[in-house]
Amino acid sequence: MASEAPSMGASKRTSTTPSLRNSQAARPASPHTPQARSGTYPSSTSPGSSFRNEDDAIIFEIGARWLRAGFEGHSAPTCVVGFGPEQSRRAGDYRGWIQGSIGDGRLPQPVDVEEWTRAYELWRSDSREIDLGLVEDKIERAFRETYNQFLLTDAGTSRLVLVLPSLMPHPLLSSLLSTLFSRWRFPSITLLSSAAMSATAAGLRSALVVDIGWAETTATAIYEYREITTKRTTRSMKHLMQEMGLLLTGLASDGDHDAKVTDKISVGFSYCEEVVSRFAWCKSRSEDDTAADENDQTLSIPSPANPCQEYTDVPFSRLAESVDKVLFAPDIAEHELDDEEKTLPLLVYNTLLSLFPDTRGTCMSRIVFVGGGARIPGLRRRVLKEVSLLIDRHGWSPVRGKALERQRQRLEELRLSTRKPSTEPEPPKSNEEAPSTDEKPADPSKEVPEIDFVEQKLRRQNKDIPVPIQGVLREVESLGPWAGASLTTSLKIRGMVEIEREKFLQYGLAGATRDMDHVPDRRSGLRSGGDRSSWTLAGWA
Amino acid sequence: MSRPFPYTYISCPCADTPVPDPARKRRSRESSQKSPQKPPPERANIDEKDSTKEEYQGEDEDEEQTFDPRSPRSNFSLYPPEQLLYCEECHQIKCPRCITEEIVSWYCPSCLFETPSSMVRSDGNRCGRNCFNCPICTAPLSVSSVDTTGNAKGPWVLSCGYCLWTSLDIGIKFDKYTNVRSQLQKMTDSTPPPAFDRSRQASRTFGDLKHPLSSFASVDEQSNAREREEASAPQEDPAAPPMGADARFAALKNFYRTQISETSNSPSDHLSSEFGFSSPGALNRLMSLYTSSARLSGLYGGSKKPKSKPPVMREALTASEGLQLAQETSEAETISRLHSPECGWDGVASIEQRATQSPDARFTSDLLPLPVLLRTKRAKRCKSCKHILVKPESKPQSTRFRIRLIALSYIPLPTLRPLALSSSSALPAASPTPDLNALPPLRPIHVLLTLKNHMFDPVRITLATPPVTPGDVATKFEIGANSDVWDEALQGTSTPLSSESRSAALRGVPEAGKVWDKGRNWTTVVLEVVPSTLPGSSAEGGKGDSSGTGTEAAAEAAEAADEHVVAVAKSRQDLDVLEIPVFVHMDWDAEAQLDQNVGKGSKAEEKVTRELAYWMVLGVGRIQPSL
Repeated sequence: MASEAPSMGASKRTSTTPSLRNSQAARPASPHTPQARSGTYPSSTSPGSSFRNEDDAIIFEIGARWLRAGFEGHSAPTCVVGFGPEQSRRAGDYRGWIQGSIGDGRLPQPVDVEEWTRAYELWRSDSREIDLGLVEDKIERAFRETYNQFLLTDAGTSRLVLVLPSLMPHPLLSSLLSTLFSRWRFPSITLLSSAAMSATAAGLRSALVVDIGWAETTATAIYEYREITTKRTTRSMKHLMQEMGLLLTGLASDGDHDAKVTDKISVGFSYCEEVVSRFAWCKSRSEDDTAADENDQTLSIPSPANPCQEYTDVPFSRLAESVDKVLFAPDIAEHELDDEEKTLPLLVYNTLLSLFPDTRGTCMSRIVFVGGGARIPGLRRRVLKEVSLLIDRHGWSPVRGKALERQRQRLEELRLSTRKPSTEPEPPKSNEEAPSTDEKPADPSKEVPEIDFVEQKLRRQNKDIPVPIQGVLREVESLGPWAGASLTTSLKIRGMVEIEREKFLQYGLAGATRDMDHVPDRRSGLRSGGDRSSWTLAGWA
Repeated sequence: MSRPFPYTYISCPCADTPVPDPARKRRSRESSQKSPQKPPPERANIDEKDSTKEEYQGEDEDEEQTFDPRSPRSNFSLYPPEQLLYCEECHQIKCPRCITEEIVSWYCPSCLFETPSSMVRSDGNRCGRNCFNCPICTAPLSVSSVDTTGNAKGPWVLSCGYCLWTSLDIGIKFDKYTNVRSQLQKMTDSTPPPAFDRSRQASRTFGDLKHPLSSFASVDEQSNAREREEASAPQEDPAAPPMGADARFAALKNFYRTQISETSNSPSDHLSSEFGFSSPGALNRLMSLYTSSARLSGLYGGSKKPKSKPPVMREALTASEGLQLAQETSEAETISRLHSPECGWDGVASIEQRATQSPDARFTSDLLPLPVLLRTKRAKRCKSCKHILVKPESKPQSTRFRIRLIALSYIPLPTLRPLALSSSSALPAASPTPDLNALPPLRPIHVLLTLKNHMFDPVRITLATPPVTPGDVATKFEIGANSDVWDEALQGTSTPLSSESRSAALRGVPEAGKVWDKGRNWTTVVLEVVPSTLPGSSAEGGKGDSSGTGTEAAAEAAEAADEHVVAVAKSRQDLDVLEIPVFVHMDWDAEAQLDQNVGKGSKAEEKVTRELAYWMVLGVGRIQPSL
C-alpha cells in the first residue's frame, strides 16, 4: 500500500502532471553544473570522454544455459554467451568451425532425453548431479572469454554484479564466488536477485514475476521489492526442448509412433533449439476455434533427418503441440499433477492464492513474464486467460473438491430453510475483483471490504495521484533481469548482498555470519550501507 | 581431437591446484575439530557431506591421481604446446587460466584503426567507423552506392558480398559514405515514437565525442528537449506503439532518478539526484527498499514508522515513465506473421543472429547491421608473481611482441609421428604408414615421440604413463638429454651417438622403449601402442599398450617398460580417440639466476637444478570400430 500513499511527494507538487516532467523542467531553472550524468546513455555508460569512470560495474546474469554480460547503465547486455559443448572444447580444437556445431546435424545414435540436454547446461539445481570442478572450469572460461571478446576491459578491476536466481544451492554459489574471487581481483561482488530485478525493469515495485526458465518455471511474488513467496514447477523450457526433440525425432523417422515409445532423441540439440526459438508458439486456447483452420497450414523447416540439406513440411499447428503439452498439460487433471509439476496457469494461480489479499490484488495486476519461455508467442496471453478462468471457477479459495460440494449442498438446504440470515453476512463483492460465481460459499479472503473511513481519507488526500491498479489481471512488460540490474546499479543503489574480496577469501560463504534472526533489520541495512564490516547472504542464505 | 592426428597436448600444471574454496576449507576444519560453536543444523549436514567429499578427494590426491584425458574437465586444462607461456620467475608453465591480462590497445580488426581507450566504451566496444558485419551471415559489409551507373553518388547502402543482403532490405540508406555508424545510430535511434529521448541522447553522445567542450551546448539542448518533452506529453496516448528497449530503459532510468531525488529528504540538493543518496537516512531507507530478500521481508515492516512521513517512491504509471503494458494484439500478430507464407524458416532470426542484436528482434527484418566488434592487444602477466609474460606492441598493424615468453622455449617440443613400418616389415620407406584415423584395434603400432629441446641447457627427461589398469605397476624410465644447441652449432660437429643410434635403428627392428633416433637437440623414442577394442556395447575397456625407452646421451642405461593404457569409455563423441597421457618430468642444471646476465660465455660456478613436471597427452589416432 505504500505505493499508494506518497503523500508528501504529492503535496509538494502542484500540478497533476507526473513528477518526471515536472522535476525535469524545474531542474535547469537553478544554476548548476551541467548535468553530465542526468541523461541516460543507451549505448554508452561513460559520461562522454570528459572523464573515464573506472568504477562502472560490470553485470553478469548467469543462468543454467546462458550468461549475459555488460556494463551498468546499458539497456541490454553486451553479449549473450551459451554454455554448450562448443564452449567446452579444448583450446585449439576448431572442429566446431570445420564441421559445424555438434548439435546441428542428426545424432549418430539416439540419446536419452536427460543425457541430451546435459552437455548444454552449466549446472542443475540438484547439486548432487553436478561436478563442481567442471562448473568452475566452465565459469572461468566463460568469464575470461567474455571479458576478452566482448567486454574488452580488464577483468577484475571493477565491481562485479551478479544477477542470480534467488534459490541457488550453496555449494554452487560458493564455488561460483570462489572461482571469481580467486581467479581475478574483483574488489567486491554484489548479488542481486533476478526476480526483483525483473520487477525493477518493468518499473514496478510489486509484481508477480513468472520466470519461464530452463530447468524450472518460478512464480515469485515481489512486494515492495521483496520476495514474498516463490512457487516453482518443473514445466519449463528444458521439458519443452525434450518434447520438441521427441516430436522432431518422430518426424525424422517415418515410423512415427515407434520412435516415440523409445523416448530417445536423435535430432541435434541446437537444431531443436533453433526450431523452438523460431517457431514454437502457443495456441490461444486449447483445441478450440483456431485449431481447425490452422491445421492445413504447413511450414517448411529444415528436415530433422538431415537439417543441413533438406527441408520438410510440418503442419504449423504441430509446433504448438509440445508447448501445449508441456506447459499446460491439457490432458491431465489437476489432481493428478504432482506439486512440482503444476501447469503454468496453476502455478500463477496458486502463487497468487498464497498471498495476502492486499498483496494479491497488487501483484495480480502486475504480472511480469521473463525468461526464455516468455518469448514464445501466445504463451503469456494463454496463461493469463487460463488464470482468469481459474479465478472465475474457484475464486480465491483453496478449498475445493467433492466434500466441499456436499457440504455446500447441505448448506444450501439449510439456507432454503433460513434464507434471510445466511445471505446477510455475505460481504458485498468488490467491483474490481473478478466476479465470483454465486454458488460458491462466501469467501472473506477474496473480497475487498468496503472502503472504510481511513481508506476514504487516504483517497481524498491522494486525489491527484492515480490510484494504483489493483485486482485485475494485467501483464506488464519487463526489460528483463539484466536490464533491471543495470538500472539499479547505475542509480548507485547498492545491493543488500555485497561480498568483499578479503572477507570472502578469509571465510568463504561461512563468513556471512550475521544472524538474520537476531539482528534488527535496520542495523543490518545500516551496516551494509555503512562500514560493511560484515556481510550477509540475505535471500541466498 | 580436433587437430589432425597425431597431435600433442600439454596439461597446464595449474589444473592440479583446485580453486581454493575458503568455505570448504573452513568447514572441513571445523567439522574435523568438532569445534564447540556448532553450525546450524542444516548447515551441519552440508558440512558433513562436504567434508566427507573432501576426505574422499583428499584420498584421491594421496593416490596421486593420474591425468585422465577423457574427463570432461581435462578439456579446460589441455592446451596445444604452442599456446602455453612460461614464467621465468616461477619456473612454471602458464596457461590462459593462470595469467592475468591487461589491455594494451583496442583496434578494429577490419580497418585496423586503433580506438582510444576513452572512446571504446562509448562506442559500445564496436568500431565507430564504417566497418559493419552482415546481420545475416556475419560477413563484412561494404559501403556501396545504389547508383549502379558508376559515378559514385549517393545514396549509399551497406551490402554483403556473401549473402547479397543490403541495408535496403531493411530500408536503410545513407547520405554519405563516411561516418556510417553515426548515421545509422541516428536513424535507428529516432525511429521509436518517443523520439526525443533517444535522438537527443544519440546526438549528444556523438556531439560529446566530437567536441569535448560541448557541454554548454548540451545544456541548451537538454532544456530544449525538455520543452519538447513537455509539449509532447499531453498527447501521449496508450495506443502508441511500444517504445524500443533502449528508449524504455532511458525512460525508466529517468523515472527512477526523479523518484529518488524526490523522495530523498533534501530535494534542493543536486547531489541527491546524481547519486541517489545524500543523507544517511535516505541511504538507509533506500537500502532497505531495495533489498530483495524474502528473509528480510519482515524486517522493514517490523521497524517503527519514521516520525516524519517520508515521501514514498511510487511505481511507474505511464508509458513515459517506462511502464509498458503487454499489448493485447502483439502476440497474435507475431503468430500470424510467423505462419504467414512469406516468413518461412529464414524469415525468423536464428539464435546466433539474435545474440548480438536487440533483445526484441525476432524476424530477420529486425536485424540491423552490426558494427565490427573491436579486438584488443593484451599484455599478460603471471598470476602469482605478476611477472610480464607477453607484451605486444600497441600498434594494431604490428604483430611484434616486446616480450613473449612462450613455453616452447623452455619445455621440449613434443611431436608424434607414426613409425612407417609395422613390427614385421623391415623397410620403413616401403611399408605404408598406418591410417591414424582408423587404427585397427589390438594390433600394435609404433609411434615415434620426438622431444626437441629449445633451451641452452641439456635436459634430462623422464616419461611415464599411468598405470590405469589395476595390477599394473607404473614404472618410469628415463630418456635422453639434449645437448646444448649452441655448443653443438658452434662446434659444428654432430654427435656420433646420434648417427650411431640412427643407423642402429635403421638396421634393426624398432624396439619399444628404445631411443630411435637422436639429433643435436632432439631425441626420439619409440612407443608401442596397442589400441584397445572399442567398448561399443560392452563397457569393457581394452588396453592400449605403450612402451618406450630412451637412453641418455651420457650412456646411462634406460629401463624399458610396458604400460597399459585403458581407453576409458567416454560417453562423448570422441570415444574412439586413442589418447595416451604421459607424465613428463624434466630436470636440468640451469645457471643460477644471478649469473644469467653475465652471459653464456662465462662459466657459472653455481648451477641450479630445476625441474618441471607436467602431463602431456598424445593423440595417436582414432580406433576403428571393428576389427
